[in-house]
Amino acid sequence: MRLTEETELSFISLLEERGIRLEGNILKVLETDSEPFKDYIQNGLSKDDELRKKRLEITRQVQEQNKELQQKAEENDKLMNEIKQALADADQAKEDALNDLDLMQKKSQFELIGSIVQVALWIIMGVGVITTMLYAMALFTGSVDTTLLGNTWSNLFGILLTNSFSIIGTIMGVKYATDDKSSKKDE
Amino acid sequence: MINSILLVDDENLFHLVFEDACSLLDITLNLESISSADQAANMFRDWQGKPKMKPDCVFVDLNIIGSSFDGIELIRKINFEYGNGVVIGIISSSEDKQEIDKAIEAGAQFWIVKSDDIEPRLEQFKEDYEGYCNRINPFKVYV
Repeated sequence: MRLTEETELSFISLLEERGIRLEGNILKVLETDSEPFKDYIQNGLSKDDELRKKRLEITRQVQEQNKELQQKAEENDKLMNEIKQALADADQAKEDALNDLDLMQKKSQFELIGSIVQVALWIIMGVGVITTMLYAMALFTGSVDTTLLGNTWSNLFGILLTNSFSIIGTIMGVKYATDDKSSKKDE
Repeated sequence: MINSILLVDDENLFHLVFEDACSLLDITLNLESISSADQAANMFRDWQGKPKMKPDCVFVDLNIIGSSFDGIELIRKINFEYGNGVVIGIISSSEDKQEIDKAIEAGAQFWIVKSDDIEPRLEQFKEDYEGYCNRINPFKVYV
């Protein structure tokens, strides 16, 4: 593509007076015999190359930063997932520990109740045996207090039986109530 | 110099890199960059029967995010559905052998590996371009 000499001079003076020049690929298709306009084109091409190199460098830096940001975002996502998993594990561990604690408390409660029942039953049986032995001795030795001891023995035996059933009933009630609570909790 | 080039790549920053590299290497004076394989397919469909409108050379990214199909499918469509006649190949950061084989089957003529230093590969491609135009060059991977 060729321009007239007048146009070439106009472009040169526009550059000298106002610093405005032709840029871009148009410079690559211009042809001329004029030395000043050849210089004009050559300077324009050099300037264009410089600008493109600069832009290329910046674009590459931005690309690099984008890649880094993307990598960091992926790492962040990974870390977030790990944290979520760790929190879920901790929650599960806490729940397990609470369940274990509850189980241990119940176990110790039952053991305590078992011991109380055992002791109570031994006492009941002991009192029953002792009273029966006293009543039997009074009967065999011909003591005058047999009537009193007989009434006492029957009263005492009745009370002891009632109390023992009461204890067993209370224990069974506590047991069923606890089982019911724990099954509702599980649901 | 290649008369006209079409670049199909979803990464807009790479458009700038490619444009600057092409200008610095005097590869072309007419470069159009688009981000969608669908858009490219539509353009080629519209250009059917209008060979003058078609670009001389097409560079296609392998994975074009946001498009209905990938770069290999686009090449297949351009070659087999919309009529051949352009030099076409892949420009991608991938070097997957299976993908390269698929690209060859789809009719790609070259595979340029996209990296920070793309200018030497484009320069080599520029030297080989005539061979691709005349369909005498075999498929080549520019690494």
